[in-house]
Amino acid sequence: MPVNSEKEITKLWKNLHNAQDEICKTYYRWREVAIEFAGPDVKALDIGLKAAEMMGKDVGKNLLPRLNWLKGEEGFLMMTGKALAGIWSTEGGIAFAEKGENSGEVFIKCTRCPWPTAAKGFAVPMEEVALTRERFFQSILEDVCVFLNINLKIEMLKAIPRGQGEWLFRLYKEE
Amino acid sequence: MAKLLFEWDYSSYPGAKAYPHLFKPIQVGNLTIPNRIKYAATEDNLNTEDGFITDADVSYIESRAEGVVGGMMFMQGVYMDEARKGQGYVGQAGCWDDKFIPGLKRLADVIHGKKAVAGFQLMDCGRVGAVEVEAGHGPSSVPQRLRIFKPMHEMSNDEVKEMIQQHIDSARRGVEAGFDVMEISGIVGYLVSNFVSSYTNRRTDEYGGDIRGRMQAVVEIIQGVKEVCGPDVPLGIRLCAEELLDDVRGNTPEESMESYKIAEEAGVDYISCTLGWQESIYPVISRDIPQGQWLYLAKKAKENVNVPISMAYRLFTPDKPNKAIGDGELDMWEMCRSMIADPYMPKKVLEGKEDEIRHCVACNLCLARLFRDAPMTCYINPVCAHEHKEEYYPKPAEDEKEVMIVGAGPAGLECAYMAAQRGHDVNVYDKREEIGGTLLEASKAPYGDEELMTCINYQKKMCEQAGVEFHLGTEVTEELIQDEMPDSVILATGPAYSKLEAAGDNLKNVVNILDVMRGKANVGENVIVWGNRKPGIGVALLLSNQGKKVTIVGKEKSAGFDVNPSFKWRYLIYLRQNGIMAYNDCDIDEVSEGEIIVKTYDGYRFPVKCDTLIMSEREANESLKKVVQGEGIELFVIGDALLPRNLSSAVHDGYRIGLRI
Repeated sequence: MPVNSEKEITKLWKNLHNAQDEICKTYYRWREVAIEFAGPDVKALDIGLKAAEMMGKDVGKNLLPRLNWLKGEEGFLMMTGKALAGIWSTEGGIAFAEKGENSGEVFIKCTRCPWPTAAKGFAVPMEEVALTRERFFQSILEDVCVFLNINLKIEMLKAIPRGQGEWLFRLYKEE
Repeated sequence: MAKLLFEWDYSSYPGAKAYPHLFKPIQVGNLTIPNRIKYAATEDNLNTEDGFITDADVSYIESRAEGVVGGMMFMQGVYMDEARKGQGYVGQAGCWDDKFIPGLKRLADVIHGKKAVAGFQLMDCGRVGAVEVEAGHGPSSVPQRLRIFKPMHEMSNDEVKEMIQQHIDSARRGVEAGFDVMEISGIVGYLVSNFVSSYTNRRTDEYGGDIRGRMQAVVEIIQGVKEVCGPDVPLGIRLCAEELLDDVRGNTPEESMESYKIAEEAGVDYISCTLGWQESIYPVISRDIPQGQWLYLAKKAKENVNVPISMAYRLFTPDKPNKAIGDGELDMWEMCRSMIADPYMPKKVLEGKEDEIRHCVACNLCLARLFRDAPMTCYINPVCAHEHKEEYYPKPAEDEKEVMIVGAGPAGLECAYMAAQRGHDVNVYDKREEIGGTLLEASKAPYGDEELMTCINYQKKMCEQAGVEFHLGTEVTEELIQDEMPDSVILATGPAYSKLEAAGDNLKNVVNILDVMRGKANVGENVIVWGNRKPGIGVALLLSNQGKKVTIVGKEKSAGFDVNPSFKWRYLIYLRQNGIMAYNDCDIDEVSEGEIIVKTYDGYRFPVKCDTLIMSEREANESLKKVVQGEGIELFVIGDALLPRNLSSAVHDGYRIGLRI
């Protein structure tokens, strides 16, 4: 039986997008569980930030086996930027890393992101979406910095959930 | 005048003539070692989980002590802290209290019983330790690269001093137990190497900073241990000549050499030259690394320090170390895996019996098991770690039998010599004109697989000695069995090759893996290998090296499913480097002119170009089984004929049945 390429690719594509959708939804379902368990004295934002911190730390550990200093500081910075953009792509975003005008900085840009859309379905405040993403990236870098003895920082310059049309993060080395 | 513990006269031995530099004495500290052989301290996971020596470990050490024929025989490195942060292996020997001394003394005694020099090693596993506790300790809390290792706790200044004292106290216990040589382990990611390396030592106190600062703890250990050991017990250290950690900002080669000089200044009497860490991304000891590859580092070490230099690391045969010692580039030939595979390896060299050596095939199964909390085992040596068990040694057969072995591959040969040694009359048949079975083809795969044939060479010699009769070029048929009517038949015919249903009658471009490996099949440009186990990988790499575009399609969830993890990573890298795509968890759904259709486990289908389809999937070989059973003859099926696995299973099957029959 000949292969119907269009059919095969469509099937794969649908399944991939369903899986990507589930990443965000599963997180927000668990957020609701955590809020209920934590009780009224704990702020939802604090729960979100703690979750972002823990998840970021774990994702950071996943990066360690692949980190490589052989291309020097600039190369390493770009490699890290690409890794962060790659995480977004896996989640269903359109993201990329590009070199900044100054040496020692890389920008990570995301022009399409599934998180705000999913958050709306669970009535999550948009500012929480922005802050948790920032905390997530910061936490990823924690172990990476210690591992290679380098002081990398990341700051959020723009965020889709803040109505700024795109996400923009600046990754740089702090002297 | 240096002290000589045991008199050895090698002058009448052929090995001493062939390899004169290996069998001449050397002075190490104030001790004269009769030869240049050193069994390197090697973990075996054979001791109790609380660190006491067992009978299994004593026997393991005793047999190897005999093997070094008067040389240095080291027991495994001991951990030294009651908190067990330094314990890196579940069966590692402990030495944090005097209560361990009697057990340790058993080891020293059996080594002395073989007139060998007993070596004691101090090994806090540091970054790769804490196997039984929550967190390890180290100079800095640098995160672990690999999740299998525990999180690191940064030692306080007081804890560093305590650790130094633990080394000194344990050294005293080692001397009290009767050991003659003391050694500090500073390699592959263990605690001492953690202090030395810029990757893991970020301290700002006196134990950090530049290489001299990072060596300070080591210097204090050396000086303290030296003092407690006294002038008659030489002290050595194992140190990295190159860490191979440049990707994570580890030491430069210059810094590593500086660490050698500082160790010498501090008073060590010899240095064991090593390289690489468990976290390195570069291979160091696997089969794809040529023998003698790292000797240049020993030479470099000798150019930088005056104390004797020993080295292991891919020196499996005596010629290279003998030459290196003769050329002044090395002082002592060190080994562990070669003597895991054959405990009597150097002894056989001395006795001129090199063709009786069961050579290590550098598969690293031993390491893979140790890292996963399993007792030591050897791929190629069925007795390894069972030396204390009577049932692993041959006893004369109660009834001498006529034994017919069908197949002269590794399973059949192993079984043949063992059965013959026990008094059976053994006849080995093979339809081919030469022995070796499918290993003849497997050994043609690139990246060092030719070393697999050392197994066959050994077995052949053993068979000759045991009086096994060969009938090569003879296919065993029903008639032959009926004519011979042996008492026992061993089917060691190797596997049957699976038929691909999807291929149907379309067999024009379908070839068998063995024909390809032999160079007897025409292979097109676009090649599909059906089967993602070791044989499939071997043929894929061979053809890729010939410039073919190769794709692997196999049912296992990962390519090399049957290869142990300590070697599998090498294959995965070679597949990637050679541009070989492996579709795992997949099967071939259709075969047509110029392409195949791959089907994933969950039903997706896609075409892949294919000029030649190579069949490497195997299954049990049922041929002759019914015939033998029909005649009422005792039957054993071994090796891949029983269930396609690997060389190790073939050897172990053959050995066990050879003992039982």
